[in-house]
Order: sequence, then C-alpha cells, then structure tokens
Amino acid sequence: MVRRSFQRMGIAVLSVGVAFGLTMLVQPLFPYPFPFLFLGAVMISAWFGGTASGLVAVLLSTLVVEYFFVPPTYSFLVSTTAEAYFAAFIVCAMAVSWVSSAKRRTELALKEALDHLETRVSERTAELLKIQTELARLSHVLSMGELTASIAHEVNQPITAIVTHGHACLEWLATNPPNLAKTRLTIERIIAEGTRAGNVITRVRSLFKKEEPVKGRLDVNEVIHEFAMFLRDEAARRGITIRTDLVAGLPKVKADRVQVQQVLSNLVMNAMDAMAEADADSKELTIGTGAEQTEVVVRVEDSGTGLNEESREKIFTPFYTTKPGGIGLGLSISRSIIEAHEGRLWAAPRISGGTIFQFTLPTIDSNA
Amino acid sequence: MPEDHSIIYIVDDDASVRDAVSNLLESVGLRAKAFPSTEAFCKEVRPSVPSCLILDVRLPGASGLDFQHQLIKSGVTIPIIFITAHGDVPMTSRAMKAGAVEFLMKPFQKDELLAAVRHGLEKDTIQRREESEMEVLRSREAQLTQRERDVMALIVTGLINKEVGAQLGLSEVTVKIHRGRMMQKMQAASLADLVRIADKLKSRANSSRS
Repeated sequence: MVRRSFQRMGIAVLSVGVAFGLTMLVQPLFPYPFPFLFLGAVMISAWFGGTASGLVAVLLSTLVVEYFFVPPTYSFLVSTTAEAYFAAFIVCAMAVSWVSSAKRRTELALKEALDHLETRVSERTAELLKIQTELARLSHVLSMGELTASIAHEVNQPITAIVTHGHACLEWLATNPPNLAKTRLTIERIIAEGTRAGNVITRVRSLFKKEEPVKGRLDVNEVIHEFAMFLRDEAARRGITIRTDLVAGLPKVKADRVQVQQVLSNLVMNAMDAMAEADADSKELTIGTGAEQTEVVVRVEDSGTGLNEESREKIFTPFYTTKPGGIGLGLSISRSIIEAHEGRLWAAPRISGGTIFQFTLPTIDSNA
Repeated sequence: MPEDHSIIYIVDDDASVRDAVSNLLESVGLRAKAFPSTEAFCKEVRPSVPSCLILDVRLPGASGLDFQHQLIKSGVTIPIIFITAHGDVPMTSRAMKAGAVEFLMKPFQKDELLAAVRHGLEKDTIQRREESEMEVLRSREAQLTQRERDVMALIVTGLINKEVGAQLGLSEVTVKIHRGRMMQKMQAASLADLVRIADKLKSRANSSRS
C-alpha cells in the first residue's frame, strides 16, 4: 500500500522532472514562459498514478514553473504582469489532472466490467457445456430405456403365445379321446414362436455387436452390379422390374463390402415390400449411383405407396416398422452401419410416387 | 354357463398372440373369433349371443383403452378383458373404472384368462337378459294410449282413481276403465308390480339419456 503511494509519487516527480528538463531545453527558443510540457506531466501522472499523483504533479509543476520560468525567474516571487498567466497555468494543470484521472477511472471501471463479463461468460459457457453433456447422456439412457422396453415387448409376445399354446396343448390332451391333431399343431406353433423369440434376441445382439468393419477399397458400382444379379430371380417372382443407373468412373470408397451389401439388401428388400400393393405394371426398382465432391451417393428408388413425413424419420428408430410382421431393425442397423463409415442414410419422397433411400460413403481420396 | 352358443372376440395386432388365445379358448370348447384390428372387429356383424372381447392395449393407431371409450360412447356394452405386455397402475385403474372385466399381463395363465372370460360372458348374459326384459316392457308401454299413459303416470305416484280423475278432468268411472286396460296391457298383477315396472322404464330412460 505504502509502496503503491511511493510509486505514484515517483510517477509525479519523474514526469515533472522530465517536463522540467525538456522545458529547460526549449525555453531559450521562446520569448515567454513555456509551461505546456508540465501539463503533459500532470496528465501522465494523473493517468498512471491517479488523482493524488496528479495533484502532486500539479503542485510540483506550479512550484517549478513559478521558480524557474515565471518572471522574475529563480525566485518564488510573481511579477504582476505574469500573475494572470501563472493563474491560468494552475487552473489548466488542475483541470488536466482532473480530466485525466477521471478518464482513467472510467477506463479502468470499463475494463474491469469487461473482465468480469468475460469471466461470467466463460463460467456460463462451462456450465452450459456441462448441462449439454448431461443431456446427451440422459437422452442416450432414455433411448436405451425405450429400446429395452421395445425388446421386452418383442420377446414378450412370442412368450405369451408359447405359454398360451402350452395351456391349450394340455387341454387338447385332456379331452377324451385326446385330440392329437390339435396337440401336434399347437406344438408346432410353440416351436415357431420359440424360434421367433430367439430370432429377436439374435437380431438385437447383432445390433449391439461392436464388430469393427473391415474397410477396403471398394467399387460401389461393382457391388451393386453383383448384387443386382442375385436379385433378378426374387424380383421376377414378385413382378418387379429392376433398373440400374450407375455412373461410370465412380471414385473408390473405403468400406466393408459385406456391410455395404447388407445395407443394400435391406433397402432393396424394403423397396420390394413397399411395392407389394402397387399396380403390377408399375413395380419398378431403381438402384443408382452418383459422385459428389468427396463422397459417392447410392440411391434405391421404389414406386411403392410412399411414406408420410412422420414415418420417413421414424423408420430409422429401432423397432419402428410400417410393415406387418416387420421387426423394425433393418433401417436402424443400416443407418448405424453407414454412420460407422462416416456416411449418411436418409429417405425422401419420390416425385412420381414412392420413396428414395439414399446413402453416402466417403471416397478414398477424401479420407487420405 | 352359456358356453354352448357364446362367442369370444379377440383383437390383437400380433398374429401369434391372437392365434394362441384362439387355440386356448377352442381347446376348452369356447368359440373364438380373432381380428387383427379394432376396425376389422367393428365390421364384423355380431350375432346376438353372450359374448366378450379380449382386447390388446397396444394397437396401431388408437389404443385398446381409446377403443373401450369409443364403444361405451356408441352404446356397445360388450364386456372387455384387456391384455397387455406393459400395463401400469393408472392404465389398469382407468380401464377398470370404465367397466373392464379384467386387466391381464402377458404372459397370462389359463385360469386367469378363463375366469375372466367366464365372468365377462356372465356379465353379458345378465346385460342381455335385462335388455330383453326392458325390450318387453317398452313394447308393452308402446301399446298404451295417451290417456292410459297419463293415468299410469299419476297412479304410480300414489293417487287414487278419484284424484286422478280430478287431475285429468275425467269421471272416476272412466279412470277405472282406462286403469283396467292399462294394467292389462302392462301385464301388471298389482299396483306394486306396476310401480316396479314404471321405475324400471324410468331409470332406463334416464340412464340411456345421460
């Protein structure tokens, strides 16, 4: 504290000293006392040392100016002709001191407010980030909860059927004579339901299995070409025409062949199912490719009934299905596969009816 | 138990549960008819026999609970047994308050389901008997002339013939004649019987209006 005030006084003494030296240098050039540099000293003292320092500078300057520069020089007397001049100097010095220190105070207050604001902002940002992380975690937990509920429901249905059929079986055996035909039929259903429950578990497992894809250089056109050959029979059986619209010279992508096939097969099967109800002569399925700057786009178009806007987004959530007997996992698995490849999978309405599913895969060059 | 000609309806969008429940009901000699949706059930022309409905809560579109309200609103009184995989207390109490026979969790046991079905069929049988009784009473009431109707309304409030005559501006003898015909048409053995019949008709008229 004491040191601080010495420092302030030091500023006043130093700046007045410098002003004095400079004034001694320039004074011989002027026919009248030249005290203006002292105003600068006062300004600097008040700026850096505050009001007290400014006032000390005013006092020192007054004494120095009076002694050295106001006639008669080298005395503390003031000649009558210089009185007004000297008084004006004092008033100016005081005014400068006041303005300078006031300005400085405002500046400091502003800076402090700004600093405070910055700390507040960074504090709030940190807080928000924390909340955001928490929210992300919560929504994850929530969707896990929903998923668990869906799985429980999917497994509970066949189990209910098994238990109920089991009771029925006992009843068929208890009739006199035992109804063996019905018993046999019921047992067959029990087996089918048990298998169904098992399948649900298997599919759920594959959804969660974190198998790292084996990514290699892949020619998407080639994969589609190969796949389309497999499809012809099934498509013919269902009365569907398959068209391929492949862009030549497509850049290679870095992807797992089996997984891309899996996604394609999912999309194509969905497309075929979507056209089950369509008119026989308008069942057309198109598989197309295209190249964007850093990615390859694959699209699967159907001329089926189409999806409404709500379903278009919902179909990607696990266990949501628009198909009777569908389990609702195909598209959610497909999306997670594509996302694991840093691509995107989405659905859009087809202008002439039906739906277009599209996915992207980054090209090898963009990965490098 | 009127099992011989009664029908149990099942609405569940899951084919395996639907089939299993039908199979179980058939195995104990009950007639079951299953539907994949409430719309399909509504389209069915149901014969006038004791019946009840086994209804899944979770259905595509409107839930089973919503369908229950829809039925009540349109005056269908078929007893309902709910089945669900994930029922909670509020859901159960809502269904039971609205008159459901039972709320069963999947998987359910045979005895639970059959007991509920029996209860439902009995409830429907009673409802149907009451309804047909009401039907008879209403048809008898419909045969009354306006005068006889007026006489009946006043007599059941406890007035004697003379007072009835005074109120309607008729002679006591005329009232007596109207009264005799009215008692005959309503097939009421006594004044007490007539009061009972009038009460029934009145309460039914009120409840169907509310």
